[in-house]
Amino acid sequence: MSGSLPRAAARGLAGCHTCGKVSPVSLGRCPRCGSHLHLRKPDSIRRTMAFMLAAAALYIPANFLPMMTMVELGVVTSNTIVGGIIYFWKGGAYPIALVILTASILIPLLKIISISWLCLAASGKLHPSPAMLGRMYWFTELMGRWSMVDIFVVGILVALVQLGNYMTVTPGPGALAFGGVVVLTMFAAMSFDPRLLWDRLEMLELDSSTLKKTDT
Amino acid sequence: MHPWPQPPGGPHYSVCHFCDTLHEATPLAEGVAARCRCCGAVLYQNRPASLARVTSFSIAALLLMFVVNWFPFLTMDAAGIRTTLNLASGARALIAEGSPLLGVALALFTIVTPLALAGGLLYVCAPLLFGRIAPGAIHVAKWLNKTEPWNMIEVFLLGVLVSLLKLNKLADVHFGPGFWAFGAVMLCMAAAIAGIDRDELWDRLEVAKR
Repeated sequence: MSGSLPRAAARGLAGCHTCGKVSPVSLGRCPRCGSHLHLRKPDSIRRTMAFMLAAAALYIPANFLPMMTMVELGVVTSNTIVGGIIYFWKGGAYPIALVILTASILIPLLKIISISWLCLAASGKLHPSPAMLGRMYWFTELMGRWSMVDIFVVGILVALVQLGNYMTVTPGPGALAFGGVVVLTMFAAMSFDPRLLWDRLEMLELDSSTLKKTDT
Repeated sequence: MHPWPQPPGGPHYSVCHFCDTLHEATPLAEGVAARCRCCGAVLYQNRPASLARVTSFSIAALLLMFVVNWFPFLTMDAAGIRTTLNLASGARALIAEGSPLLGVALALFTIVTPLALAGGLLYVCAPLLFGRIAPGAIHVAKWLNKTEPWNMIEVFLLGVLVSLLKLNKLADVHFGPGFWAFGAVMLCMAAAIAGIDRDELWDRLEVAKR
């Protein structure tokens, strides 16, 4: 599989992150666009873990603090994410409840789990199955932005529902924490380098082939 | 239309950004994609009429963005008061109600980024149609890559729908022309971004520079 095909790093070649041109990494900068050349994203696992841990820490206040506060005729109600889902579910709006559940709870949680898994695999603590994990990485990067939907809903409601004494909506501290989770997980996914998984696999294959040689 | 030009020199290579497998890059016919032999990820693809598409769709997106910013998205009638929402008012309300960070983020993801992306694509691609390169186009093209993931207009559109359902019981809520224009902006932006492959754009820039 990966043994028969040539890999760029083994020849000292790097594909530019910005423009895609393949040049010797010894040039330092891409001759076409001037970006820095790297064989792998610098400090990939450490940066990814740092962003991911910060996101995981913010995930807790994001779910327990209110996303927004509604004042209706003097009565104050605080809305958390889970509260919103329950509200829609009880009201019979199942599709919208499922959309919020997916975008606000499942996607951030799955992102945190999948990024941790990717980091463990890339640092050799779990088996790197690059074909499967690569697809997981691609999916993680693709889905990340959709969690932002709850922040947008808060913004829209705050702008629309300003009815003086009758009813007002103000953003809560949970919204800021939740926005932090989304942005931090996006940065975490961007700093991860999926090529590290293939590097691990190559090392494993090399190890097993040298073991076989010493056996015979 | 000129076909995808090859920069001088060679042989040209392409590296898979998922698994780092090295391939020799060969020219493709229009509408064909090259895939990695190791992991199957798309390496590069030759989009049909790429420059013309990017140019026209980004002009359309920019024009529609004016409509979006002038007309309301949603109008709500409740308790004898009519409130309207347009793109900037969400951000402004968040800033005014004590969440300035979120307000700035909302403005960045739904107003600034789409505007910069469409404007940048137009600035880079329209002169390339005539084989020229705009001053500073290399720097603009570098920034286009970085801003792309932060363009969240389709997410905002979903947010409008969710809010509509949330408010439906409280008040009369109606879609304004801004909403439909924003839907069209979303489609135009998607078509413009998908209109040209990154490698093709940079090969064309490299050739035009000489």
